[in-house]
Parts: sequence; structure tokens; C-alpha cells
Amino acid sequence: MNTTDELLAARTRLLVQVDEAARLIAPLWPLSTVIAVNPLWDLRQMPFAEAVTYASRVLGICGYPSPSLFAEEYASQRITNDDLRAALGDCPVTHGGKGISDVVVLTATERHDLAHGTEIAATTDREVAKWSAAFLAGMVPTHAASGFYTAWRAIIPSDPTLRRILGKSGRGRLAELPTQPEDAILLGLDRLGVPEEDRVAELARQLARMPGWAGHAKWRSRWAAPYQPGPALHLVDYLAVRLSYEAALSVAATNGEGAMGSSAFYQHHRGLDEAPRSCEARRLEPPRLDVEAFPADVREELFALSGAEAAQVWLRAYEGHYRDRLLDSLNTEVDGLSTQTPSAQAVFCIDVRSEGLRRHLEAVGPYETFGFAGFFALPIRHQPWGSTEAVDLCPVLLRPGSRTMEKPHNADVTASRHLRGRQVEAGAHMMFDTAKKAAVSPFILAEASGFLAGPISAAKTFFPRSYAKLRSALRASLAPSVATVIETDPNDGGMSDEEQALFAETALTTMGLTRDFASLVLLCGHGSTTENNPYASALDCGACGGNRGGASARAAAWILNRTRTRELLAQRGIFIPGGTVFVAGEHDTATDTVVIYDLHLVPPSHHDGIAVLAADLERAGAALAKERARLLPGVKKGRNAVAQVAARSTDWAQVQPEWGLARNAAFIVAPRSVTAGVDLEGRCFLHSYDASVDPDGVALETILTAPMVVAHWINAQYYFSTVDPEVLSAGDKTVHNIVAGVGVVAGAGGDLKVGLPLQSLFESGRTYHEPLRLLTVVQAPQIRLDAVINRNPVLRELFDGQWVHLAARDDEHDTWKIRRSDGSWVQWRPAATYTEEVSTHG
Amino acid sequence: MDESWALAQMTRIEVVIGGEDVPLITELLSEVGATGFTVVSNVSGLGHSGYHQGRLLFNDRNALSLITVVLPAERVRPLLDGLRSLLAHRSGVLLVSDTWVSRPEYFQ
Repeated sequence: MNTTDELLAARTRLLVQVDEAARLIAPLWPLSTVIAVNPLWDLRQMPFAEAVTYASRVLGICGYPSPSLFAEEYASQRITNDDLRAALGDCPVTHGGKGISDVVVLTATERHDLAHGTEIAATTDREVAKWSAAFLAGMVPTHAASGFYTAWRAIIPSDPTLRRILGKSGRGRLAELPTQPEDAILLGLDRLGVPEEDRVAELARQLARMPGWAGHAKWRSRWAAPYQPGPALHLVDYLAVRLSYEAALSVAATNGEGAMGSSAFYQHHRGLDEAPRSCEARRLEPPRLDVEAFPADVREELFALSGAEAAQVWLRAYEGHYRDRLLDSLNTEVDGLSTQTPSAQAVFCIDVRSEGLRRHLEAVGPYETFGFAGFFALPIRHQPWGSTEAVDLCPVLLRPGSRTMEKPHNADVTASRHLRGRQVEAGAHMMFDTAKKAAVSPFILAEASGFLAGPISAAKTFFPRSYAKLRSALRASLAPSVATVIETDPNDGGMSDEEQALFAETALTTMGLTRDFASLVLLCGHGSTTENNPYASALDCGACGGNRGGASARAAAWILNRTRTRELLAQRGIFIPGGTVFVAGEHDTATDTVVIYDLHLVPPSHHDGIAVLAADLERAGAALAKERARLLPGVKKGRNAVAQVAARSTDWAQVQPEWGLARNAAFIVAPRSVTAGVDLEGRCFLHSYDASVDPDGVALETILTAPMVVAHWINAQYYFSTVDPEVLSAGDKTVHNIVAGVGVVAGAGGDLKVGLPLQSLFESGRTYHEPLRLLTVVQAPQIRLDAVINRNPVLRELFDGQWVHLAARDDEHDTWKIRRSDGSWVQWRPAATYTEEVSTHG
Repeated sequence: MDESWALAQMTRIEVVIGGEDVPLITELLSEVGATGFTVVSNVSGLGHSGYHQGRLLFNDRNALSLITVVLPAERVRPLLDGLRSLLAHRSGVLLVSDTWVSRPEYFQ
């Protein structure tokens, strides 16, 4: 190879090393579409226990619930001696993994800092965080298509901080950096003395220093759509800036230049750790377990285990207790089967918050409900009417394949007025924002409009619902509501008739609704209305890419009502009667109200049916709101619970508008008859599945490889944010500041926060979310289930690696079986039977 | 190859790899100056880890993708270096073959 080839080859090898190092980091989606993700998703090739060990050494995380939580749960009998016996008798605990103990846990500069008392790594963190934020906020001049590194390299010579931290000659060295970010990384690694074989470990720890900014870069490099607007901060650019600082600071420290050569420079940097601290170092709490309180058989085995081994047993016991309770509650062949003809069928998202609404709706009338991913099998890029931005409405595991458009149903005067009103509103917003952010105008703005700020703030604080109503009324007078329709047009990037029929067939088959259609079928998406909440999109629909789900439901209903779709469906063996009408709705999970859309598209013959359905949804929603009110902090007993729940959604000071998906624990793939009438406490994702209409397992494969993966991500996000709030949660909402719309920082700066806010997981310092790994429960022939698992590596990784537990039975006549990590199945054996065994042998 | 056909010789590289790795591959292609490439997602076939059905409806990331790129011979070595180091860690298929194109300026 010639020199150019060698340089190119060095760069390509480096790109692969960067990718390998970044497996430790979870992508961090921007705030507009917060996506819950397993923080260790790219380590899933390792079993759970090994991945946790690796991440604890490089990222410094705690991967298991704390001993104090286990102690509390043991004291309250949430974990019993039987659960522990069952867990101890389960498959053996995992002891680390091959090569895991050799992982380098410190960067070259961290070792230097520890040896010489310098603060190279922390100074780098601070500078990189500062410039990353400035770049994404558009405060760094960039040329077209130039990335973060190029923009930073051009502006850095004028940064006054540089001279202080590097000295004059150090500053000169930084100005001579290569033009390509890859070359800057190679140079930095070379100057830091990192040999090629240690690069992945070095780069992994470099990224682990600030998992938030690294996570944003990973999202941009590996997950963002090519058409994603805004400044692009890629992994390579990010590492190039980091390593350029570190190399320059190291040389400065060696030469005794700048701050690195004198006393420590940043004594009080905010938002960043000085040095990585292991989980053990952070959890200094003494175990609160009274060893003597345990029965001898449990004590002998449990207390002989190391900390990580014992944590695995405790976790399995914790999970086993829930699994036993859940499987015991599910219906057998004789239970829960309704013989009444449904007055309507309603399809809800699999989200755990739908379970309560379904249960209450079924209780108020003869309704048949289904669970299906809230994008209703339509991966679309949707253009709302009057908006300049299209949104991707589909799980992030796939790219939208077609476009949908929202248009006025009748292009009349009201539609024009609405659009003008929206333009005035948008213009006012933009003017206010610009005035607020410019150099001088904020003072004028404060003078001109400040007198309004006080009364508005008072109204928002003390009369949130009235203020919200007033605002809605103002908005309606400015931009009167207009009847619209969501369509897809093959001449405008939309779906052809055949594609629409294929979507319809897939959706109906996968949810098991292919016959016995009621005259009214509701497709109900969901969203959450909250105020002053940077994490609002985390409460919206994950299957719709962190957006509200109403538009997907409307598009799906429009397609399913088309005569042509039904003709093509009939050719595929699905006959939807002419008298069946699909309608779209949206469940507001903050208030438990349901809005039904597009009534102007519904024939008069179904108006009465819709009125009854709407009234029953209101009753069901009120019952659910009352149920949720018991769990929400601050709800006063004896007062109108429904009104109190609703008020939270409009209160800008409310940090816990709803509990979201907290306490999620299981994903059930079965006909509704298995769960009908069972109070699942809003803890289960429910996906309808009828094995009899899926002989080749295509629907089951789709459910397990997409909705279940999304459910696992949500579950794992809640799990890790709860077990390690210091590293893997977003911390306290009340000190969050938004950075360039991409994330939040705590206080004035530092790393972007990852994971969920504390207020989504804890209540008054106590753990509200139970950190359990997802339990998937499937009713399908085992031979089919095994075939699906065996042909999908991602499922083998999740089940064999114990990231997700799996229980299954062939049909309602069968007993439950548990899949073990070696792929074998054992009969489900409730923990209580372990006592009987001890009694018998004891 | 008959010279009268007026075709230019190039190298075709085909990679079958997990959908999650496609962004990295495209990054490598960009690094060596590839001017275009083709990605087919959700491909099926038999490999040493078994049969891949290629029918994941709602998950492009965990299905296999086929990436095809055509390059002048001098750009192939650096790309192969990167691809080899990638395939040392992850499963996939790498095929390299001669090919001929009618408009070589598109591939320079």
C-alpha cells in the first residue's frame, strides 16, 4: 500500500474501533422524540450478568437493585424465603465473563490524573461539553456540511480559556491540528501513547466519561435519519475534539505549561465527576439484613455468594415472585370468556397504560378489546396540516416507508382562517423567541411585556385548568378548528392500493382480528398532555417514535374504510362487512379522556353507536383516573379524584403529571380471553395474538422482533434508571435546563442527562418502579415459538442472555412452561412448592 | 472481456451484515470516497449461523442487509482493511469480485 492507502486504511480501521467502543453507549434521542432504550442494548451479545459487569467497570454503573431495596422488599414479604429458595435452585449464577476482568477502566489521562494530581480528563469534559452545547445551539459558525470537529477547529484559537489552560505554546499546538477528525483521533491516541490493541478500550472509556454527549453523538451517527435537520455532532467528531484536548493538555502538563502545569485549574467544575467511581464505592450503605432472620437452608447458600452473585439471586427471587403471581392470575379455559356480541371492538396500543382503560371499558359494556402496537402497522412520515415539519410515526427500529398528509376535509373559508390563525400564532412565537435570545431586545421585551408576565404566571400557578381553558378558547378564536382528513396518496410518496391492503392484512392478522367484525371498530392511539415538561414525549407513544398516536390511528382507519382496501382484503380471505366502520381515537394518558376523531367521515348510521361508545369511554376513563389517583402523590382523598388527575396535566409546576410506564413488568402475547377480567395493575404490555390465524408464525415473529423489543427497551430503561439513578437516570427534574432541544443538563452545564427523571421512578425517596427484567408471556404452540426464536439471533440473545424472561403455553388447556437460558423448557413451578419440599425433606 | 464493449473494469464489493451495522459501513464507504452504493434491507439466505428468513416486518435493524458498492481498484485495499477488522468482531459475509461498468466517471 502507498502512503495514501495506508492513511485511508488507518482511518477505516479507526472507524471500526470507534464503533466497537461505542457499543457501551446508548443512543440518546432528542427531547422532541424521547425514546426509551436499553442503556446496554449493544452489549446484548453478552448475557445480562456479563454485560452488567463490563458496564460497571467501564461506565461505572450499578447493574442490580441496591441491597437496601432488597432488604425492604424482604421485610415486606415482597420477596419471600420461598422466592429465594426457588432462585437459588434455579440455573447457576454467572461469574463475570471471558476476558471481562481484563477490561481497562481508565483512560490514559485518567491514569495520569490519578498519578500526578492533574485534572486533564475533567478539564476535557468541561471544554467538550461547553463546545458541544454551543455547536448544537448554533452558536459556532459552520460551513455547509462541516461537522463539529471542523467548526471547533476553526473557532478554538479565539477561545480565551485555551490560553489559560494550555499556555501560549500549548495553544499553538492545538491550532496545528489535522483537518480530518479521524486523523485528529489517531494523532491524539499516538500522543497519549495508546497502542492499537488498546484503542477500543481507551475510546470506550473516553465515551463513558460523558455518556450523555456520547449518546447524542451515537444517535446522530447510528440512528438519526439522513434527512435529520440541525447541526450534526457525530461520534468521530466528538472523539476528535476530546482527544485533541486530552493530548494537548497532557503535553502541557508534561511541559509544565498553562493551568495543567500549575495548581489544579477547575476546583469546582459543575455537573461532572472528577474521577470515575465504581458501584461498590458509591454504595457504601451497610447491608440491613439480619442474617439470623433467614431460615438455615437459605442462609447457608445465599450468604456464601459474592455480592454480584447474591444480587443475581435476589433479583431472580424478586422477579420470580411477580411471575408466580401473574401466571397464577391468568385465565384458564373456563374463565373470562364472554359470549355476548360486542357492541364495538376497540384496538388499543400495547402500552401498559392501555390495560386499565381496556379493563374498565369491558366492565361498562359489551366491548371486545385488542392490543396492538400504536402505529397500527403503518410506518409513515406524516405531514400534519399547517405544519412545516413532517414527523416519523413508527418505532425507531424501522424507517418510515410512506407519506401521509393531513388535509382539510373541505377547503372552505374556515380552513383558510385556521391556517392564517396558525401563521399569526407561529409568527408571534418566533418574534418572542427571537427577541428573547438576541443581545439587546430582551430588555425592551421585558419593558414592553413584563407587566403581563406576573398575572400570567399567577394564573398558570393557581388556576391551571382555568388558564388552560382560556388559552384553548383564545387559540380557537384565532384559529377555528377545522375538519381534516389524513390520507395517503401514491402520487405524493404515499401507499398504493396494494400496499394499503398489505398493511391492512398485516395489522388485522397480527392482532388476530380477521373475522366477526363489529359494526364499529375503534383504533385508539395515545398521547399525554403535560405542561412545562421537557420529557413530555417520553410519555407519548413509543411505537410512534415518541409522538402522539392519534394521527396513526386516523390514517389506519381511513385506509381500512376504503372500498378498494376491502376488495383487496377479500381477495386475501379477510371479509370486512359493509356495515363495519373504523373510527380513530386517542387516549390522553394524563387525564384518561378519549377523543374520537373524524366524526365528519362517519356515516349517519353509526352516529348513535359512536355516541354510546364515547359515553362508555368517558365512564371507563373516569374509573381509571380514580384508580390511578390512589397511586399519584399529592392527590387529596375525599375530593374529586378525576378532576385532580386532570388538573395535573395543565399544571406547569407539576413534576409528576402521571406515572407513565412505571412498574411495567410483563409483555403478554395472547388472546384477550387469557387476561380478560384480570386486574393487571397497569403493569403489562398486552399484544393480542391468535395462534389459530398464524399457522406459519409470521405474526408471532413480528410481535417478538418488534413490539417486544420496544417493550424490552422501555423495561430496561426503567430498570437501569432505577437501579443506578446516579449514572443512568436524568436526575431531579427541578434543576433541569434544556440544551439546544437535544437534552437537559443539571444546573449550568456538564453532561447531558440520560435515562428517566427521578420523578418518574421514585416517590419521596422510595422506589416506586419495581426494577424487574421484562417477563414475556406467550400463548402459542411451543414448536412454533422455538422456531421463531431459533431463526432470530436477537431473540436468542434476549432470552438466552436473560435480558428478558419467557413463559409460554401451547393453548389455554396447557400448563405454563419457563424457558431457561440454554433454550430448554421446564414446567412452571411456583415458589410456594419449594417450602413443601423443604418441609418434606426437613 | 471484448474491448469493443467499451467497458471499464472496477471492483465490486458486497457485504451481508446486520442492519444495525449499515450506518458504519456507509461511513467506511464515504471514507474511501465511494460515490454511491446500494443497500437492500431484510435479505434472506443460509449462513453459518443458520437460515435467515428476511421477513421481519417492523425491524430493519435486526435483519440482514446486503450492501453493494463498485470502486476503482485503488480504493479497495483501505476499505477491505476496515471491513476485515469489522468482520473480526461481527458476523457477516464479504465478497469481492471484478466487474465492468459503462460509465466509469460515475465511480471515480
